[in-house]
Amino acid sequence: MKFKDQFRTGWRNLSRQKLRTTLTIFAIVIGAVSVTVMLSLVTSAKGFLMSSFEKTGEDRRVIVTPVTGLSYGDARWQTWSDGTGKKIDDAAITALAAVPGVTSVTPIVGAQYYDSARSATTEVSISNSFMLGYLANGSVMRDVTHGRALEASDDSGGVLVSRSIVENLGFKDNLEGAIGQKIRLKPRKDFSEMMKDVEVTIVGIMFADGDAIDMTLKFALDTSPVFERCDGGGPNTQPTCTKESDVLRNGYPAAYINIENKDNADVIVDEVKKLGYGGAAGQEEINSQSQAFTILGAVLGGIGGIALLVAAIGVINTMVMATLERTREIGIMRATGATKSTVRSLFTVEAGVLGFMGGLFGIVLSFGVAILLNGVLNQQLEDGGISERNIITIPPQISIIVILVTTLIGMVAGRLPARRAANLDPVEALRYE
Amino acid sequence: MALIQCTNLKKVYTVGGEEVRALDGVSLSVEAGDFIAICGPSGSGKSTLANVIGGLDQPDSGSVVVEGMDLAEAKDKQLSEYRNKHIGFVFQSFNLQAHESALENVISPLVLGGVGKKKERVEKGMAALARVGLTDRAKHKPTELSGGQRQRVAIARALVNEPSLIIADEPTGNLDSSRGADVMKELERLNDEGITLLVITHDPTVASRAKRVIEIKDGKITEKAGAR
Ligand SMILES: Nc1ncnc2c1ncn2[C@@H]1O[C@H](COP(=O)(O)OP(=O)(O)OP(=O)(O)O)[C@@H](O)[C@H]1O
Ligand SMILES: [Mg+2]
Repeated sequence: MKFKDQFRTGWRNLSRQKLRTTLTIFAIVIGAVSVTVMLSLVTSAKGFLMSSFEKTGEDRRVIVTPVTGLSYGDARWQTWSDGTGKKIDDAAITALAAVPGVTSVTPIVGAQYYDSARSATTEVSISNSFMLGYLANGSVMRDVTHGRALEASDDSGGVLVSRSIVENLGFKDNLEGAIGQKIRLKPRKDFSEMMKDVEVTIVGIMFADGDAIDMTLKFALDTSPVFERCDGGGPNTQPTCTKESDVLRNGYPAAYINIENKDNADVIVDEVKKLGYGGAAGQEEINSQSQAFTILGAVLGGIGGIALLVAAIGVINTMVMATLERTREIGIMRATGATKSTVRSLFTVEAGVLGFMGGLFGIVLSFGVAILLNGVLNQQLEDGGISERNIITIPPQISIIVILVTTLIGMVAGRLPARRAANLDPVEALRYE
Repeated sequence: MALIQCTNLKKVYTVGGEEVRALDGVSLSVEAGDFIAICGPSGSGKSTLANVIGGLDQPDSGSVVVEGMDLAEAKDKQLSEYRNKHIGFVFQSFNLQAHESALENVISPLVLGGVGKKKERVEKGMAALARVGLTDRAKHKPTELSGGQRQRVAIARALVNEPSLIIADEPTGNLDSSRGADVMKELERLNDEGITLLVITHDPTVASRAKRVIEIKDGKITEKAGAR
């Protein structure tokens, strides 16, 4: 019997029991949708993770720390040095820059001395903000959405400000308008003795998801007045201000390296370690986070898999019913020349069609679910100031694999009933009432 | 040479410790062009013999040789092809596929045998329906046909593949005498056209038209010459 005819016969037999067929397919659809949506969520999350690391340049970053053994996530928070570990001084920066494969290096310094920022109209608290200074060579960080990166010429105190702070400063509906605006930073009370108010200029706005914290200010370490400490101020005398003395004493808390080839991160980390420092690559963070997503995907996919397993039992049930109902028909087919293998493949094809339809409708429905989820997420992304949209996509290969797998599940589930049908004794089948 | 040569066929069923000898050493040769009537009391083994000759069932021992092939030893694939190409079955209860039209029923052996394209199948199917005078009922479902018409559709199905032998197991059993006579006339005409005919019947008038009458009792043959 030709395959085309088997397919047609299977299709026809399925449409004889529309309700039962629909319900069986529906069960497969549920399984297919859960597998598809869950796998797509995970791959989309991975893609989003990857792209946000790429945007900030963290996919090519190695963080050098005085102490060894820190993960990338911990190294990120090394914004002040207490003197332990190997001191990162200017000579160390030069040595790191000389490592082959390193495109640029900047020391970084945290600046948690300020309490509030004031624009012409509004004052906002920045006591919880993450403040970071780095060399204004513009090549290590790349996370600016409006304006420009810090430059060496920002000696008047250029500053990059994260979007949420800019919005709070009164530029919610006019982000561009914040560029070039001056803001005054007021020191914390406990620092007010040694630090004065400084005026800085917003030169760029960073997207919010850059550093896992959406309240961030970044300064040019080498030129910004933010890092000046002042002594000897009194009612009648101007204080004398110098560069951050902690740095002079303890070295930099960390240095950020930009590497040429992101697949080379391990090698660079090894080189950093040879110099006696701790080193952690952004790639490591990407890997561990995406591994977490992989595990999540396996767990969620497993749940979908169970749904598919249940659906497979439904297929077995439906096909057993079909072979029982059609016993006499099977006898007639055998009498008119159907071989055992023809009967077997007829039922297998029929079960395969159930699986295929379930997979197909499941994928179609998954696209609908993705559109709905994206609608919700897009709003949240917009509210969060993230420019990305429609981050949940269903990769074509997942669609194809899901359809293939459900078809295969149908055929495997149909095997047992199909074998039973094929092995019926034709004479008995013809006598069956 | 005989079309089909059966030698010492035996088939025993054991039900609840009791042995039932459905076939107990049956030997029979069917010549091409024959019209054989098989008679005998109920449970004597008529259907069993017909099914063995038709390749639907296999004996416990003995041989059924058709064109050099022993059906008793044949594999499923060979038996199926034999049923498909060489045999046409006609049953007492018609055994049409209820969800298919008359034409679809008739061409089903062609579909199962993978013969030709749709157009060719329809042509052959319509020709077969024409031979039983049912061209105008091609699209009807079995439930939309009378008993006699159903059996004629079954005959059309049996002959669509140009078989060498048609086996009819009590073809008139479910029909009144005049419809039964029509069906027998149809079968006899096919026999006149050269198709070998094996008819199982209880009806003496049917048996009287056969060239050969075979009497079976308790799985054993007692042959009589047919009157015609
Ligand atoms: N599957 C089976 N299991 C057990 N016994 C069987 C089976 N098939 C047939 N028999 C027995 O074999 C014997 C012959 O059966 P068969 O169907 O050939 O009879 P028959 O001559 O066609 O009878 P009828 O005229 O009633 O159709 C019967 O006694 C029947 O009970
Ligand atoms: Mg019988």
